Amino acid sequence: MTARGACAIVGGGLAGFTAYATLRGGGLEPTQIAVFGTDPDPAGAWRGRAAAIRQRRMRSESDGHCYPRSFPGLAVRSARRTWSPEPLVASLCDRYRPSVAEFLEHVEELRARTGWDESFVPGRVEEVRAVDGGFQVGVHGVFRHVLLAPGHPGLAVPDAFRADPRAVHAYEPHDYAAHVAVVGAGMAAATEWVNALAAGAAVVSVRRREPLRRPLNVPRALFSRRGLAGYHRLAPGERAALLASLLAPSYPPGGEWDAPLERAAQEGRFAVAAAVDGAEQVICATGFRRGFRHDPLLARLVADHGLETEGRWIVLAPDSTVPALTDATRTLSLAGAPAQWAYPAADTLVGAKYAARRFLVRCRTR
Amino acid sequence: MSYTLRGRLESRLAGALVAVLAAALVAVLVEEWWPLEVAGIMVGVGLAVDAAVYHRALPYQPGWAAVPLGLLELGLVLGLVRATGVAAPLRPALLFFAGAWLTAQVLGHAVLPLARWTYAEDGGELGRAGPAVGALTLVVLAAAGGVAWATQPPTVRLEAGIHRGPLVIRSAQTLVGEPGAVVQGGILIRADGVTVRDVEVWGGENGIDVEHATGVVLDGVRIRGAELDGIHVRRGQVTIRDCDIRDPGSTHAQGIDISFAADLPASTIEGCTVAGGREGILVDMTMAHVEHNTVRATTLRGITMTEMSMGTMSDNHVEDALGVGIFCGDYSECEIEGNVVRGTRPDLDSGDLMRGGYGILAHFGAKATLNDNFVDASPGGIGAFADATILHEK
Repeated sequence: MTARGACAIVGGGLAGFTAYATLRGGGLEPTQIAVFGTDPDPAGAWRGRAAAIRQRRMRSESDGHCYPRSFPGLAVRSARRTWSPEPLVASLCDRYRPSVAEFLEHVEELRARTGWDESFVPGRVEEVRAVDGGFQVGVHGVFRHVLLAPGHPGLAVPDAFRADPRAVHAYEPHDYAAHVAVVGAGMAAATEWVNALAAGAAVVSVRRREPLRRPLNVPRALFSRRGLAGYHRLAPGERAALLASLLAPSYPPGGEWDAPLERAAQEGRFAVAAAVDGAEQVICATGFRRGFRHDPLLARLVADHGLETEGRWIVLAPDSTVPALTDATRTLSLAGAPAQWAYPAADTLVGAKYAARRFLVRCRTR
Repeated sequence: MSYTLRGRLESRLAGALVAVLAAALVAVLVEEWWPLEVAGIMVGVGLAVDAAVYHRALPYQPGWAAVPLGLLELGLVLGLVRATGVAAPLRPALLFFAGAWLTAQVLGHAVLPLARWTYAEDGGELGRAGPAVGALTLVVLAAAGGVAWATQPPTVRLEAGIHRGPLVIRSAQTLVGEPGAVVQGGILIRADGVTVRDVEVWGGENGIDVEHATGVVLDGVRIRGAELDGIHVRRGQVTIRDCDIRDPGSTHAQGIDISFAADLPASTIEGCTVAGGREGILVDMTMAHVEHNTVRATTLRGITMTEMSMGTMSDNHVEDALGVGIFCGDYSECEIEGNVVRGTRPDLDSGDLMRGGYGILAHFGAKATLNDNFVDASPGGIGAFADATILHEK
């Protein structure tokens, strides 16, 4: 595509897909949207990671879907499909967690329904540069409105284990040895503890701090304007400090996590330690590399345009746009983890929609 | 959901708009103002608890919280309805509240998120439409309330003291007795839409006599020493609430008698206490709901529904009746449910076998459906005579 277009999404993962579904739901045709990515399957990267940690249920709730409207959510759809009120009751009590299979099924259905493949342009975008009337997106032409959803910039592996032959990242395919050390304290680590124990392994949890127990990635008030208004008023330094604390590793409270750990601890198969010592296998459940500097596209964007940053974040407007490159005629938005400056839960599906809906308004009105 | 204060208020008013419009419609249909009064109280209570309590106490409100919060608001609304003297019948008012609550839930969980994609992100705020919807709701409520106020019958206050009767009411009005207000010699009601509230009546042939009048409300009236009927209704439709009738003025006197109104909408008798007299409450050739009353020491029957009447007799207490406690007779169809009948005495002097201390009795082709009644110390128990049938639901 070399012609001057209207809207482009750079990034073909779930955040980009959610943005695409939102634009389509908002009335844009597939021909008006270009999506640039390396894998036509929007759930491809996520699917692999979920399979690696043997994830069965989503951490997200009924709203954790890619549909443009929040209603009907996955609980309503599940209730309708199964003719059971159970998902609705669970959702009212904040206890509904869709299965990974349900989630992937809905992505497939939405992919077919929205015409995603018509808009998808395979290829990695190395550079996005502001030009007159829009943005030059790699070699693909100029677009007035561009949303960058580059995803996570790679897996984070602690330096100490980079060359360790025992080490594997949790999001890479792996089995379990008899004695496993799991490094980390977040959702992936908790999943690995339970999975390794279920596989018969003895597990040592290696962590620097006690994990937070939180139902969702960030406190619920920060998903809406109630919490966001105060968050957006914070000075850059305060906001960066708050973000760092909010993004500390956490996993949900509940017996499904605690019971197997307590049982294994009584059997002498689960312990917490400061070092991996003599474990046969080291699983690094240490998430992703963080910050724009690890993402070549974003790092270059910042360098080329002298964008304002704070710590590891690009400073964004509350509507998730880059202020220096957004005006009445053009838009540059960020979605996914790099957009946490605007929306702390930006790396969730609800967060992806937050950026996407505001991007849609700009695509439709400018 | 984490509501902002503005979001709470706008969502509340959006839901209230539906309720207020429904209240206006119901008010027109039933020709009474209580739906609008209840709607106004609901909106006021909702806005008050939103601003004063919920916003601070609930930074995040899970879906299930709507149930206990709804019950809290229901309690406040009922208390205010009672305190302000709104003449709202309990069951319809509860249904109205439940409908409004359900509508608000459907709006908040489905309709508004569909109509406004960022509804949840915005903490329930409705954007530019929010103030408009809120203003519209308040305008509709104010307009309907204004019309209600402007068109309601005049209120006449009866000062404390004894007023010589009979008092004849020939036009729609609300007669409110101040504490200590007594009418001696009875009240005759001859117009539709009359409300008599908190008035005490002494003597008279009938304490309150309603003829050829509908939409009559007798609320909190006290009747003493009536010669024939405490409350006497012919060809009328009445709502009688929280009355107290005792000290019959003759051996022929009765508590309440509503007769010959089969073609009129159902009358309601609820929350009354009737002590003494031949019939405690008599419904004859009329549709009626007789609920939550206490009837004591009658000499013919406690509560009677007869002569092709239809209706319910539920949650009443009938004590110390002579002969029969609750009676369904003469091809009437009666739903008899949740009543307590205690100490019905056989009327041995009458020589009538059907007056053998029956707690509940069906007679002469009547159909009585019984459910969850408690009959105690009534030697006749439950009986049916002369082709009457009794169906036990449980």
